[in-house]
Amino acid sequence: MTTLGRFLPPGAGRIRRFARSTEMTLAAVGVIGFVALAADSHGSLLQGNAVRGILTYLSVPILIGLAQLVVLAAGQMNLSVGALGGFLSVFTAALMADHGVPAPLAIGIALLAGTVIGAGNGILVVVTRINGFIVTLGTMTILLGLQYRVAGTRTIDAGSAALQRFGSMSLLNVPTIFMVALVVAGGLAFFLRRVAAGRRLLASGGNPLAAELSGISNARSLVLAHTLSGLIIAVAAVVAVASAPGVNKSIGGDWLLPSFAAPIIGGAALAGGAVSVLGAVFAAFIVRLVDLARAQYSLDPSWVNFTVGAVVLGTVVIGRIQEVRQTRSRQAKPDTASQSTNSTVRSPA
Amino acid sequence: MTNSRILETAPPLLAAERLVKEFPGVRALDGATLTMRAGSVHALLGENGAGKSTLIKALTGLHRPDAGTLEVEGRPIVLNSSADAVRAGVAVVHQERNLIPEFSVAENITLRQIPSRRGLVDREVMRDTARRCLDLLGLDLDIDAPVKGLSVAQTQLVEIAKALSTESRVLLLDEPTSALTMAEADRLYDVVGRLRDQGRSILLVSHKLEEIFAHCDTVTVLRDGSSVLEAAPLSSYSTDEVVDLMVGRSHTAVQFAPRPTPTEGPAALELDGVATAGGHQDVSLAVRRGEIVGLYGLVGAGRTELARAILGLDRLTDGQIRVNGEPARIGDVRSALNTYRIGYVPENRKEEGLFLDQSLTMNIAVTVWERIKRAVGYVPRRKERDLAADYTTRLGIRSAGTGQQVSTLSGGNQQKVSLAKWLAAQTEILIIDEPTVGIDVRTKAAFHELIWNLAADGLAIVLITSDLPEMVTLADRVGVMREFRIAGWVDNDDHDYGTVSRAVIDLIHAREPASEPTIVRRHRPRPDHPGRQARDSTNSSSVLRGLSSGKQCGETRWHVWHRASSHRCRTLAGWRFLGDVRRGGFPDRPFVLATERRG
Repeated sequence: MTTLGRFLPPGAGRIRRFARSTEMTLAAVGVIGFVALAADSHGSLLQGNAVRGILTYLSVPILIGLAQLVVLAAGQMNLSVGALGGFLSVFTAALMADHGVPAPLAIGIALLAGTVIGAGNGILVVVTRINGFIVTLGTMTILLGLQYRVAGTRTIDAGSAALQRFGSMSLLNVPTIFMVALVVAGGLAFFLRRVAAGRRLLASGGNPLAAELSGISNARSLVLAHTLSGLIIAVAAVVAVASAPGVNKSIGGDWLLPSFAAPIIGGAALAGGAVSVLGAVFAAFIVRLVDLARAQYSLDPSWVNFTVGAVVLGTVVIGRIQEVRQTRSRQAKPDTASQSTNSTVRSPA
Repeated sequence: MTNSRILETAPPLLAAERLVKEFPGVRALDGATLTMRAGSVHALLGENGAGKSTLIKALTGLHRPDAGTLEVEGRPIVLNSSADAVRAGVAVVHQERNLIPEFSVAENITLRQIPSRRGLVDREVMRDTARRCLDLLGLDLDIDAPVKGLSVAQTQLVEIAKALSTESRVLLLDEPTSALTMAEADRLYDVVGRLRDQGRSILLVSHKLEEIFAHCDTVTVLRDGSSVLEAAPLSSYSTDEVVDLMVGRSHTAVQFAPRPTPTEGPAALELDGVATAGGHQDVSLAVRRGEIVGLYGLVGAGRTELARAILGLDRLTDGQIRVNGEPARIGDVRSALNTYRIGYVPENRKEEGLFLDQSLTMNIAVTVWERIKRAVGYVPRRKERDLAADYTTRLGIRSAGTGQQVSTLSGGNQQKVSLAKWLAAQTEILIIDEPTVGIDVRTKAAFHELIWNLAADGLAIVLITSDLPEMVTLADRVGVMREFRIAGWVDNDDHDYGTVSRAVIDLIHAREPASEPTIVRRHRPRPDHPGRQARDSTNSSSVLRGLSSGKQCGETRWHVWHRASSHRCRTLAGWRFLGDVRRGGFPDRPFVLATERRG
């Protein structure tokens, strides 16, 4: 499994490694699936507004997948992805609709709130030393309560024409909000690959003990991961508000499974330390294809959940099988370093 | 060496003065003193549990000592984290492997100080640093390859390179050569020598005394957490004197009333040439009823793993286990217990032995539910409780009642509960792993008496312990394990600490491995996979000796293979090619060539 945790040297090795990587497989599956669907729809899927629709509803899945990915990288899980996203959506919309806060300010407040709540998750995990699973389960429930409280039974229309325009704007049929998702993905990939703090975060996830012995603060890595997760969720919430005509108390309710689906199908190790941003983006696209297929053949919506759940489970099982097989083959492999030790046996004079 | 004489007057690079570190129930360090000077290699010796690892952890900021002082180049210093130690110029290679599997070799080496410019990782500097550190070790590795694909020996060398990456003047190496072949170990010692000449100070912990004597200048010996020999020049001591210091003569074993040990009849548990998937080779032992057979060895010698194999948790690849003379096929712990009446009291009682949040009753009765259950699996509560009460009194478990939660008991009482559940299951063979770790001295003595009496009552006991006095007190015979084999047996009839401990330590530190891990085979035109031939090849020392005396050489070409890693030789593929001895004149000891030190 190729991961961002590994630096790829230039040259043939890099191409070969990429060709055999999870990302490559996912890209192939995505392209084949899309071509098949497009062909079966007699090309209507390739028309401008169809493409726009596909990409518009791809940006939230990508963003929540990335929000989960950054926590997985540090070896934890964030169950509050959907609840935080939902809360921030109704919160942002309510700010604008009920209190007349201008859109840029409301967005700023939402991003700040997401960051702060994410940091809160991280700090709780570090201070209480309780597993992040439990902590975020707790904050998930709290946030759900808040979301219901703010939204009540109504559908909130943010009522900001500028925001609506931003949500429907596109360049050459590529929606702006999809570009936002790609920019976040690029930024996160860069962070995890090139920024020292990002490398430390991955190190903490890969082997916490080794990281600690190398002078890396695991606590800091965890807080950072949860904080970034909160920030990315806030971006997802803003995108959701911008692209939907109105938000209500149910928004975010179906975000949790897709948030795990993207990074896991994309090749992230559940134990932490190995993630692939590119893989997660491709995986989100494939999940979107399943939804498209449902719409195209007018299948029951329950099939989407069934398929995505099965694919996630299948990916985890296959990953486990590969892992076992790799461990075995490594143990059977003769040592490659032995060649260099030959020189110590001197031939007789 | 001239360096060290000049620097003798300068303050030591690292000085630890009378360090004390206490853990619940144990005083791991009790006045340990260590002085390391620039330009010297310092040996730290001591038996299992003498406090070596704790001392290293105190020197690297992982443990905060309860008393005593630390000085770096004459300045007092307090280390709160491993980062503090790195800043103070102290680097360490721990015994456990500590690398990030997904990261590249280069990144792992530089992890302590990730080279970065304005927060961005500088790959070029990273690769340069990594290359430089690997060059120091004379190692040619792909620095961009992820560490998870490397062999044990390679990861070990990467760890050492990592320790060299920071500007450290003090380098602590905890058993650095345990996973290395002799050729690799030699290369490592070359580097150690070079680092010494650069004016650094290196601390070496190793159980291989011949390596210590070949490469160290000074020595500190720890016993029971305190230094019994402080920074003495190694050249003025012999191996025997150092071993005497490690063992000490102060221990007098407690003598219990002698037990009759029957020598008739089949052994209760017998292992005959057992090899396991985990890497054991040719392990044979026999325990009769009423006997205590000890298994001693260093951590990682394969004792606990052997117990797991007996219980069916690891696959047997060769040999036979017999219970009461009958060949036994033990598939899992359930059949070990129900069919063969073998119980295992694990070393780690908190994680493996007990249900801490449950009552005493539940903990003792868990093994007998099958036996006392009635129709539809109903387990009568009264019966459970009576059983628990019975064993509580018999083992003298101090509790407020059988309903008490086990987590609220003391360590010694917890261990008794762990033992009680196996007794309740009416086991006939009991494997007890490290029974008194973390238990205070008085409870320890009571526990010893308990184990002794269990044997006197007719149980066959296999005792695994790293506590040598405990072993000498209890065992009738001691098998010394090394590298997943039994290196030898020591009779312990008179329980005399001096002679027995001596013999045991000699076996552990023996110069030659118990069974020669080198294979010599005839050259075939196309060298096949060594693993396949290993089985029918002329294994063993006799051929090697033949070779060394030149008798069997003739016109034949011989290939010399060496086992790549000391254990985990799962298949025979773990052999490495050392070279071939060409026909005609070869030096008198060809295979030793690979182990001979340069200069």
